[in-house]
Amino acid sequence: MAINVEKLNTLLQNFVSATSDVEGAALVTPDGLPLATSLPGGMDDERVSAMSAAMLSLGERIGSELARGSIDRIYVEGTHGYGVLTSCAEDAVFLVLANRSAKLGVLMLEIKRAIAELKLVLM
Amino acid sequence: MEIMRLVVTGPVGAGKSTFIRSVSEIDVVDTDRRATDEASLLKPKTTVAFDFGRLQFSPDMALHLYGTPGQARFDFMWDILIRRAHAYMLLVAAHRPREFHYARRILSFMQRRSRAPLIIGLTHTDQPGTWDEENILIALGFPNPDRHPPIVSVDATEAGSVAVAIMTLLQHYSQVQQRNVEQPAPHR
Repeated sequence: MAINVEKLNTLLQNFVSATSDVEGAALVTPDGLPLATSLPGGMDDERVSAMSAAMLSLGERIGSELARGSIDRIYVEGTHGYGVLTSCAEDAVFLVLANRSAKLGVLMLEIKRAIAELKLVLM
Repeated sequence: MEIMRLVVTGPVGAGKSTFIRSVSEIDVVDTDRRATDEASLLKPKTTVAFDFGRLQFSPDMALHLYGTPGQARFDFMWDILIRRAHAYMLLVAAHRPREFHYARRILSFMQRRSRAPLIIGLTHTDQPGTWDEENILIALGFPNPDRHPPIVSVDATEAGSVAVAIMTLLQHYSQVQQRNVEQPAPHR
């Protein structure tokens, strides 16, 4: 069955607008192409997608070569906020951008929920 | 121990990952993912961050080989890798003339960020429809036959052939170094 891109976009948009402190989200293929995106203005979705794929692949490589096991998530903490990458089924990577005031526990839980919903659409 | 960082770049399917795998003494650190873009027409998997291989060139020199992704959406990786490269090689499939223009784009991206010496490596030269060196050089933006980077044919699947290409790159690197010592670039 074809992937329902419209549904993916709606899910992402709802996630970004309903989750406090989340500024953007993207669902991308493991080789770095956008599936659905809801990103802050000025961010190029192709570029964001490619970066997400590169980062996750390196993270997974660290997981296996440095014996950390399979990777649950990768997160980047900057002075302006967080970037969290989570793999979403075999065929997708989920990126969430949140600002500095995000509560990490809440954010992780919301991401987990969003992924469960996204997976249903991707199946 | 001296470490030389060499970067291998070029369009999708030129043979960058294969090139590095052919000579690396360590298991290559690859970041291959299943290709879903145009790359999938050429091969099942594509590099999304970089390939890394290592070669002990002499007792006091180790080569670190980095292969870039081919697609322009990964140009942030091109940027990261080229800035620290001592020298680099542009790999081009000699039988896919439609990619020459794109290879030229990669080259100008690199040259804007790095003054490291470069050579051109031609792969797939045993295939039908292969262009000759002169014409490829013109297509890559080197119309003057007396002024172009060294160019070699390389079979990326053959360790011996890859070693020759790497030797050529190292020789060119030391020639350029030598020239710079004799005629130091003016301070800017």
